[in-house]
Amino acid sequence: MSVPIGESEAHFALSSIERRRQQVIAEINVPPWYWFFLAGGWVLLGLLADFGPAWATIAATVLFGALHAGISSRVLSGRRGSPQLSIRGDLVTRRLPALVIGFLLVMTAVTVGIALVLNADGARHAATWASVAVALLVLVGGPALVGSVRRHAERTQG
Amino acid sequence: MTTARFDELIHPSTRLSIVALLASTDWAEFSFVRDRLELSDSALSKQFTTLEEAGYIAIERTVSNRRRRVRVALTAAGREAFDGHVAALQAVIQKAQSPVS
Repeated sequence: MSVPIGESEAHFALSSIERRRQQVIAEINVPPWYWFFLAGGWVLLGLLADFGPAWATIAATVLFGALHAGISSRVLSGRRGSPQLSIRGDLVTRRLPALVIGFLLVMTAVTVGIALVLNADGARHAATWASVAVALLVLVGGPALVGSVRRHAERTQG
Repeated sequence: MTTARFDELIHPSTRLSIVALLASTDWAEFSFVRDRLELSDSALSKQFTTLEEAGYIAIERTVSNRRRRVRVALTAAGREAFDGHVAALQAVIQKAQSPVS
């Protein structure tokens, strides 16, 4: 194989390739609206638990779960954080959806825990306050979780 | 296994950047590539034409919400050429660093 370049040019070309790969990795994300959808749903369920009939809370929980199942398969891969590109699957960890779902299960447990503590303390509307607190945690913690996955990809790829 | 093959068409700096960017995506929009490479529309179009004529990229033009969108993707031939080129670059470095016998 005849290659008309020297070592330094090869190094320069490979570092240029790596820089472009990093630009794509920087786009790994879950669309921001997803976290607002979750936070909004969380607060709505909390309000229903406090102020609505039991059947409405159950129906809304099932509906919310179904809606989430419908959209999560598309958005939780982290490959469509920007509408401008689709990132190759091998650049994004397959664990991202599991990490997000795990995070949501922990948030669910935290919601129940806070609501029980508030209720035991005699607070009014314990479910609402618990859901508002956890909705804020989701808005902050969700993007932070995806950010840590992105930083991990930046360190390990290439 | 990838065969190392230096590709004269890919190697020039701008085209190498374009192909490297596309190699990490399933597809990317024209505007994404243009903005990341800080190129003008005409300069990027020219490079795309060269790569498309070589069969290295596929360009899809669609209209969505009255906006024209141009999606670009590396073809199988383009990906193979890119992988071969990367292997050739790595081989150059390995050869330079290996002790002379």
